[in-house]
This record gives sequence, C-alpha cells and structure tokens, in this order.
Amino acid sequence: MSKPTPRRAALSLAPALALAALAAPALAQSWPSQPIRLVVPFAPGGTTDLIARLVATPLGESLGQPVVVENRPGAGATLGSLQVAQSPPDGHVLVLSSIASHAIAPALYSNVRYDALTDFTHVALLSLNPSVIVAHPRLGPADMADLARRHREDGRGLDMASSGAGSSNHLLIVRLGQILGKELNHIPFRGAGPAMTAVIGGQVPLMSDSLPSAAAHIRQGSVRALATSGEARHPAFPEVPTLREAGFDLVTSSWFGLSAPARLPASVTDRLSREVLAVLARPEVQSRFAEFGGTPGTLDPAGFTQFVASELARWEPVVRESGAKPD
Amino acid sequence: MELLIDNLAHGFSVALSLKNLSFALLGALIGTAIGVLPGIGPVATISLLLPITFGQEATTAIIMLAGIYYGAQYGGSTTAILLNLPGEVSSVVTTLEGYKMARNGRAGAALATAALGSFFAGSVATILVAASGPLLTQIALSFGPADYFSLMLLGLVIACVLAQGSILKAIGMVVVGVALGLVGTDVQTGQQRFTFGIPELSDGLGFAAIAMGMFGIAEIILNLERPEAREVLKTEVGKLWLTKEEFKRATPSVLRGTLLGSALGILPGGGASLAAFGAYMMERKMSKGRHLFGQGAIEGVAGPEAANNAAAQTSFIPLLTLGIPSNAVMALMVGALIIQGIQPGPRMVEAQPDLFWGLIASMWIGNVMLLVINLPMIGMWVKLLQVPYKYLYPAILVFCSIGVYSINNNVFDVYTTILFAVFGYMCSKLKMEPAPLLIGFVLGPMMEEHLRRAMLLSRGDWIVFVERPISATMLGIAAFALALMLLPNMRKGKDAAMAG
Repeated sequence: MSKPTPRRAALSLAPALALAALAAPALAQSWPSQPIRLVVPFAPGGTTDLIARLVATPLGESLGQPVVVENRPGAGATLGSLQVAQSPPDGHVLVLSSIASHAIAPALYSNVRYDALTDFTHVALLSLNPSVIVAHPRLGPADMADLARRHREDGRGLDMASSGAGSSNHLLIVRLGQILGKELNHIPFRGAGPAMTAVIGGQVPLMSDSLPSAAAHIRQGSVRALATSGEARHPAFPEVPTLREAGFDLVTSSWFGLSAPARLPASVTDRLSREVLAVLARPEVQSRFAEFGGTPGTLDPAGFTQFVASELARWEPVVRESGAKPD
Repeated sequence: MELLIDNLAHGFSVALSLKNLSFALLGALIGTAIGVLPGIGPVATISLLLPITFGQEATTAIIMLAGIYYGAQYGGSTTAILLNLPGEVSSVVTTLEGYKMARNGRAGAALATAALGSFFAGSVATILVAASGPLLTQIALSFGPADYFSLMLLGLVIACVLAQGSILKAIGMVVVGVALGLVGTDVQTGQQRFTFGIPELSDGLGFAAIAMGMFGIAEIILNLERPEAREVLKTEVGKLWLTKEEFKRATPSVLRGTLLGSALGILPGGGASLAAFGAYMMERKMSKGRHLFGQGAIEGVAGPEAANNAAAQTSFIPLLTLGIPSNAVMALMVGALIIQGIQPGPRMVEAQPDLFWGLIASMWIGNVMLLVINLPMIGMWVKLLQVPYKYLYPAILVFCSIGVYSINNNVFDVYTTILFAVFGYMCSKLKMEPAPLLIGFVLGPMMEEHLRRAMLLSRGDWIVFVERPISATMLGIAAFALALMLLPNMRKGKDAAMAG
C-alpha cells in the first residue's frame, strides 16, 4: 500500500506540465477561463497578504474572472512558492513573490527546491516598501549620527532587534554593521510585533522594521524614526531622513511581486502585466499603498525579471556574511 | 469613573445596534461551532473569514471576529470534556479532569461548570479591559526576556511536580515535549534543527496535529480495545446540572482562575494557553478538592476554563492600547483593522471610540449570548455520548483530518497526526501522561527563545536572571518547588494524597 506523497504527486505532474506547455497557445486565447488562484506563501493578516488582497479584487474585475487569494504559509515562504513553481503554466495559478521567497530564501536555505529565476515567469513588481530604523524615544539614540557615536563608544556595541533571523530587516542590520565597521548585536524575534513590543518596553533600544508595520508606532511617538532605507524620503514621513542622507550609503527595500510558473505563454504574461499595471495606477490603490508606506511598482515582465536577478545576486553575499546560514 | 461609565454607555449604544448585535451573535455561533469541531481552531477560521469582513464596517467586523475567538474558548471545552479532544492549546488541561468527570457520568456538570466559569471570568475580564487596559499594558511591557524565561521555567517545574504517577515518566515526557518543540527553524540563527531536510518541518510540528493525535485519536484506539468501557459511557449520562456540593467546590476555583487568567492574558505571547496551564497547577496545589485530582475533580475544570476565557478577553488589551498583537489571533485582528484603513495603535481609543468601546461592550454581550447558547445545549451535547461509537468515531476521525488539514492546507499535518496517534497509544500503554509532553512542547521553545534573547542582551552574563526582581522571584519559587519534589517525605505524602 503506498500513499501518494507530495513529492510523488509533483512527479506525476511532470507529464501534465509538458502537455500544458504544448497546449499553451490554445489556452492563451481563452485565458482566463476559470477563477485564478493567487497563492500567498504567508499567513493571512501580514503585509504580503494585505498587498495580495488589495490587488486581487480589482485585478479579478478587469480580467473577468475572480482572483482568489490562497494562503499557503511555511518554510520562509518557500512552500507556497514551490507549489506554484510545480503548477501548470496556464495562467490560473499565480504566486505573490517577495524578497523573502525569491531573493533571501534561495541563499539562506539549502533545501529550497525551486530556482527563483528559471522556475518562474516574473510578471510584475507590485510594491516596494522601505525599511525604517526606529529607536526607543528615551533610551535609544537621537539620530543616526548619535547611533554611530554610541555604537563606537560602547565596547560591546549596540543591541538592535529585527523580526527574525534571515529577514530583510536582519540583513539591513548586517549591512549597517559593515558600514559602521563593527557588528551590531542583533536580537532576532518571532515577527515584527514582539520585536516592536520589546523596543517600546525599553528591553532593546533599536530596531530595523518595515515601514508599514512601524508606521503607527512612529506617528504615535512610542518609537522614534531615525532613518528610512528608500532612494528618497518617504512622502508619509517627510521629516525622516534617508540612510544615505544620514551618511550611510545603503538603499534597500523589501518588495512584493506577481509571478507565475515558468513558460507562461507570452500573450498571458503581457495581458496580466498590462492589467496589473493598470490596477496599480488607480488612485484608490495608490492611496492604500501609500498608507502602508509602500510604492506601487511600474516594472514590465522583463524589467521585473532583471530586478529579481539583481536582488538574488545582491543578497547572497550578505546572507553569507550574516552568519544566518543554516545547514 | 464617571467618564468610564459614559464611555461604556457609548459602547453599548454601538454594540446594541441591530447589525452589531447580529454579527456578535453570528461570531459567537461560529466560534462555538469551530470550538466543538476538533482541529478547526479560531486562527484557521478567522483567516478564512477575513475576506468577508472587507465589505463590513470596521467595528462590525472586529465584533464578529472577536466573537469567534472567545466563542471558540467556550466550544473548545465541549469536545475536551466529552471526547478527550483538545481542539486548542488552552483546552488541553480541561481534558484531564473534564473527561474523567464525563466518564464518571458527570458530563453535564462539567459542561455547566465550564460555561458558567467562562461567563463569570469573561465578564470580570471585560470590566478589567475597560477600566485599566492602558495601565496593565505598562506592567506587561516591563516583562523582559529574563522574566519570561523564569516564568516559563516555573511552569515546567510545576508541571513535573504535579504530574500523576511516576515523576520520572513525567519529566521524561516534558523533555520529549521540549525536544519536539525544538523541531524547526531556530529563531536566533535561522538554522534548521531536526528537520531532516523536510521543508514541511521547517516551521516546526503543529500543535493541533500532536494534540489531536496523542489525546483524541489515541483515546479512540484505546476505547476500541475495551468494549466494556463504552457501555458505561453510553448509559450513564448523569444529571445535567451541578449539585450544591459541586457548586461550592467550583466557585473558589473560578475566582482564582479568573484572577490568574486576567493577569497572564495581558502578557505578550502568554494568552489563554499559559493561563489554563497555570490555573490547573494552582488548583491542583491549592483547592480543597486537590486529593480528587486524577479522578474527575470539578476544580480542575472550573479553574482552567475560567482562566482561559479571562485571558482570551484580556489579550485584547495589548492590541487595543498599543497596537501589538499578543498571539496569532490578535495578529489576524491587526490585519483585519489595517484592511479597513485603521492602524491599530495607542491612539485607537481616541481616534476610534466607536470601535474601542463598542468592542468592549460587545464582549460582554457576546459572553451573555454564549451562556444562553451553551447552557440549554448541554443536554444535547451530552446526548452525543449516546451516539454509538461505530458512528461517532469515524465522524471524529473525519473532522480531525479536515481540521488538521485546514490549518496549512497540507496533507503533511494529517500524516503527523497519525504518527502521534500511534505514539500516544504507546504512551498510554506505558502509563505515560501526554499532558506534560504538550506543556513541554508549548513552553520549551518559548523558554529557549527567551533564555537566549536574555543572554544576547546581557552578552552572556547569567546574573540577569537574579538581578531582575520578577525573574528572581519566579526562580525562587521554582527552586522551592523542585526542593519539595526531591524531598522523599514530600513525595510519599503526594503519592498518598494521589492514591486517596
């Protein structure tokens, strides 16, 4: 008696995959012929999930078929991504790709069973979200210069919290340490919420967080924003300098995109990219993104694919340097 | 005080609108249903229902979601008591005495205790949220990693001290539980531990899968091999209400459970499960009926049930006053609010008075509704025990499988459940209790995380654990409990008390 294992199921998919590739032109004409599954490889409620849901509804309207968000969390966002990589490229299964699953995880985990570039058709960049360095208003440094000075003078270096080992926020802390010439004492937490609690409670003086999750606490004054990591100052926080302005040559953003299995028919890719960009250009979508502290993307499929490749190349050495390399 | 009354009055005016009232009821009903169905917990349900809330007003949406959460605390005790199936971490301890009560023909009394205790605790905790939320949050914020570690160490030590039967087996089960809890990605380094290269294991083993397997399904296997036990359960349904004597015994336990639960619910990461464990241990040590533990003591149902419901309510405090989610359900609430364009945070009380006070008022209303839903249903639930097992067991297995699968939409969790059902059966045969294992599984990884975080912050200096007053006190009590356990006289006394 043998039960079908996921891996065997995946193998049995292979012929189907080949067939689907052959049948692609026929499919493309009628696409989308059924509801589209958008796999979000994170739990519901987080930033990734919010972005997916914000885009899914209007996208479904303009495509004429509902886009159904399906949460498939696990293994640093790689489980859901793998599922999509192994799905038929008929345009009815998409994945919410992100810096976690398509730039950091491939360098971080040795058992990732997909290639972030060749196993996907990258369709559109949805959102770029800068990170922000926040400090406890009383115990933390006043600005980035103060941070650098305190870090130099403190023999043991400063403590800095993040939402988790291997997260883009953690890697930002590693890069900061490299620029400062001395490692920051990284304190990883299980998610941004607990880390923010520790900063507000004064257990840890500093934190690197994504702007959307920190925004409310900054407005409230329960933490102080020292710098954001974008190219330019963020419109929602014009008084907060960028890292570059503060003298740290470091520009980085977490990003979210829309990807499909490899060999998606070009006609489907084009149509999907066009519709997504149209949705992102809508004023109401733009204003919702702005509330999260995100910037809607404008890249076409070729541009986004190139972007993913550059991100992969960029984070691999940082992950190696961070010591967050498992196995 | 006057201001508080004004605010509450405003809250009730919001919560009592027909729309909000009906969604509170809907939430409570859904919550009770998923609490009763093993496996499908509030996290899975709320995440499934999240999209429906997009079209609703924010206040209505949150009132419904909150109803699901505390409704599940009521419903969860039903399967725990009747079928030995803890659908959630917080109802693990309810199985210990509750299921024994059911076997003794006191299922009705156990269910009534759970419902009344939960109602009382929920009401008190709601007042607490309204009156002193912000203040309590400040206290919770002062808990550092060292304090958390010591608190959890105390929990584990007491779990061993109070276990039934062989203390060595109890320690063994706790240690196995801790080891199982360590499977997955290490929080501090991102290293994968004990995952054997299986991606599904990188987030660790699922609590539901282990609990379902070791308690529920193992119990089914055990029951299948002793046909005489089935007859007993089938015929003796017993009286549906508490006797005067039972009422007198349960009351102080409910009071203690409410206090402890309200306090532990506020701690980030603590919540309902820690509260239920804590209350069970406290009852086992302090209540008048402590010598009856292990045979179906009503105190062991009343205390934990009051505690988990109190904690479910007070765990809203960090969310409402700081915008910080203290557990997975609260994280989903944050998501629901953000989708509505509301940033949860300290300013929510001023910026969204309708939402804040309306939610608080609706919590109390919801608790009343749950009592009304649950009390008349006790008779019906108890009748469930008369369903012939040849129908009941396959139904339980199906619901368990659906429930476990729905958590991550992954068959892997179903296989895990089967594996732990076999393991749980073996443990029962070897007279090893599954409860200490589950306590170890839940507390172990949290303890490790806080220990290592405290060490990171202190640069490896162990003095932090005795330097901080909260931590030092907890460690002192833990050392005391350990000393008691190791003294041979005490052990004899404990075993005698157990036997009697």
